[in-house]
Amino acid sequence: MSAPAPTGANPPGTTPGATPGATPGSAPEAMTRSATTIAPDGAPTVVGDGTTARSRAARRWRRARWTVLVLAAVALVVGALAVSRPPTSSVPYAPDSTTPEGSRALAQVLERQGVTVEHVTTVAEAVRAAVPGTTLLVAPAPLMTDDQALSLAAVEADLLLLRPGGTLLRAASGGAADVGWSSGSRTVLAPGCELPAAQAAGPVEMSAGLLLEGSGATACYTRGESHGLVHLDDGGRTVTALWDPGVIRNDRMLDDGTAALALWLAGDDDRLVWLVQDPYDASTGDDVDASGDGVLPPWTGAVGLWALLCVVVAAVWRARRLGPLVAEDLPVVVPAAEATRGRGRLYRRARAHGHAAAALRAATADRAAGRLGVPRSADPTTLVDAVVRATGSDPTTVADLLYGPPPADDAALAALARRLDELESEVHRS
Amino acid sequence: MALTWRAVVLALVGLVPVLLAPVPGTVVVWAGVVVLACGVDVALAASPRRLALTRRVPASVRLGDRTRSELTIVNGAGRRLRAVVRDAWPPSVAADDDAPLRSGGALVAARAATTVRSARHRVDVRAGDGVRLVTPLHPTRRGDRTAGPVTVRSFGPLGLAARQVSLPVPGRLRVLPEFASRRHLPSRLARLREMDGRSAVQVRGEGTEFDSLREYVVGDDVRSIDWRATARRGDVVVRTWRPERDRRVLVVLDTGRTAATRVGDGPGGTGSPRLDASIEAALLLAALADRAGDRVQVVAFDRTLHARVAGASGPRLLPELADSLAGVEPRLVETDWPGLVGQVRSHVPQRALVVLLTALDPSAVETGLLTVVDQLAGTHQVVVAGVADAEVAQLRAGRDASTVYDAAAAARGDLERTAVAGVLRRYGAEVVEALPEQLAPALADTYLALKAAGRL
Repeated sequence: MSAPAPTGANPPGTTPGATPGATPGSAPEAMTRSATTIAPDGAPTVVGDGTTARSRAARRWRRARWTVLVLAAVALVVGALAVSRPPTSSVPYAPDSTTPEGSRALAQVLERQGVTVEHVTTVAEAVRAAVPGTTLLVAPAPLMTDDQALSLAAVEADLLLLRPGGTLLRAASGGAADVGWSSGSRTVLAPGCELPAAQAAGPVEMSAGLLLEGSGATACYTRGESHGLVHLDDGGRTVTALWDPGVIRNDRMLDDGTAALALWLAGDDDRLVWLVQDPYDASTGDDVDASGDGVLPPWTGAVGLWALLCVVVAAVWRARRLGPLVAEDLPVVVPAAEATRGRGRLYRRARAHGHAAAALRAATADRAAGRLGVPRSADPTTLVDAVVRATGSDPTTVADLLYGPPPADDAALAALARRLDELESEVHRS
Repeated sequence: MALTWRAVVLALVGLVPVLLAPVPGTVVVWAGVVVLACGVDVALAASPRRLALTRRVPASVRLGDRTRSELTIVNGAGRRLRAVVRDAWPPSVAADDDAPLRSGGALVAARAATTVRSARHRVDVRAGDGVRLVTPLHPTRRGDRTAGPVTVRSFGPLGLAARQVSLPVPGRLRVLPEFASRRHLPSRLARLREMDGRSAVQVRGEGTEFDSLREYVVGDDVRSIDWRATARRGDVVVRTWRPERDRRVLVVLDTGRTAATRVGDGPGGTGSPRLDASIEAALLLAALADRAGDRVQVVAFDRTLHARVAGASGPRLLPELADSLAGVEPRLVETDWPGLVGQVRSHVPQRALVVLLTALDPSAVETGLLTVVDQLAGTHQVVVAGVADAEVAQLRAGRDASTVYDAAAAARGDLERTAVAGVLRRYGAEVVEALPEQLAPALADTYLALKAAGRL
């Protein structure tokens, strides 16, 4: 540590604030260790608190080690789980599924051919990702609602529909195609159309169940009235529907022309959005405008993060106390009148007019007796006589006041207390 | 490590770059800038562990008086020190001029704790220089108070962040009893002087020790004429008397549970403990008895001996007494009455005036105090002095339908205490009961009366 301030070169003792008893500049040599010296007047001088940077670090480590170790262990476990989680799934028709029902084979071949495959699980995501120039593959989704189907049909990307629902197919084809019923069995069908994909693939084993409803659409792989593939080009985009979703399955990739057909259809554009709808997905494409990027300006996230930074700094600023609280042993707080108040409350709750009146009367009689010089052991008559002599009041009234029947209610008790006060003041005046 | 408001401002300034380049990365970079600036500032701050700190406090102060704690800082860090220094003291000592201070000095510490801010000093000391910081102290409770640590928050040159250390600098202040009852001392001393040298004429039994002979003046009691001296001298000579001297006075302070209860009219029953009133009375009685030439001992006892002052007299007595009684606190235990008798017997084997400063609590009297008085009254003159409660006196005056029950309860309590006092008197003890402020003069008057009657 060097001294940056040139004022540090001041000769000791020349400064007005310098202390007697401790020589400035000479005492704090040993720096980090605590040094306590006693001044001539008995006041100890303290330098440091007996710790070094090393001992403080060691103490902090000892105090925090269990927390740190537990947190580290949790982080390790979480990290290991994250790393060891297989990047594959077992969802049918998903591009990351390696089961026979999955479609990882097709996805990998496409990616090797330079097609970007984006795997999405909600309709909202699919609608957002399906911009013009991409292909949207919709895997079979028996739980899709009509709203979701209409949202998907309205995208501007090319559509590849596998075993679509009726709503989706009719909306996407503008009524040119519809679903029929499954014939159940798979047979090898010839292309039977001019579609390049079908031509390239040749005969493919599949089932057929799509119907044509008017002109404008091309039908391939026909068996009877039903078709295995319907293709529609409405100028802006193409819509292709396949009755048999199995053509993208891993286990059928090696059959006849299946792989060629799937690759031709799915690899038409550079980007492929692959929708395998989550069963719990309730989103529609309309959500895209209602939430997310649409309403808030683009800098919201950055400013929010900045506000968080400011809050954290302000919290650290305010959180540090200037030294610990100084504790002090306080004496107990027991009012001495507590017992008296408690007894008064008992009287009140029990409505003990008699006991309360007796106490008041006895206290008055005691004080009057002391005042008039009547011994404490004197009988009531003596005291009443003495009081009557002193005050000149009616003997019956005095006797009734001091030794009469107990009052009947609170008001009578209060009145009795006031009359006793009057009597006592008369006794004291006399 | 601590931040200042400037660090917050620095973080707030980050809005400019964030608006210029609104991506999260900007915020991360700015957070790095803030952390770096604070880190550099902390690294450049003077180390508080290299300051030489000395705290000077007076050894003791009387309750209610003001005093000060001086903290001397010598900057040995080799850098300029800009810091906030806190000289921490317990709440009942820290001066707080805003808080209301009752004349008795018994400000409730719990209430003061919410308003007291221990003194904070802003200092700017060049390397090698020193500075002296004065913290005013205003104790509001009796007893020993240990100072807290000295906290130094040393800011860096940018004022963004600071190093902070709390250093244990020893400091202790003994708060002595207030001895507010000393204002009663001059009048009682005057009464004592009146008694001194007075002939036996005016009050029969005024003093029992023979003092001197003097010429008869008209008005002297003829019974006090010393005929033998008159015959020798040929002139009428009377004897004069003076109060006894060199009697023993033992003041016993009961520090058991009854001494812990609060008497007086503080808010919510938070007056001062009963013991404080007892100490006031003990101090006045000791000062008076010492001037009167008696030998005073003071003992504070509940189950063990907490303080004992004996053998001191003259100007040494009161300081020693105040010092010993400063640290005596009431304890929540039942007083060991038989043990108290043993203490009294071991300290004063001969006849003495034994003053028991306690509470006239009927249950405590019946279970213990009565036997004490019974055993001691044979040898000693016993005075039982109890501190009454002003709040009970207020309750006694209640006269409407809801408070009349409290008045009845107070009246019943009075009767019980009167009965107990009567029993104590029958056992031969004098009984004094008074409100906290009036106990000390009442006890002094009782002492003077006993002395005048020659009953010591």
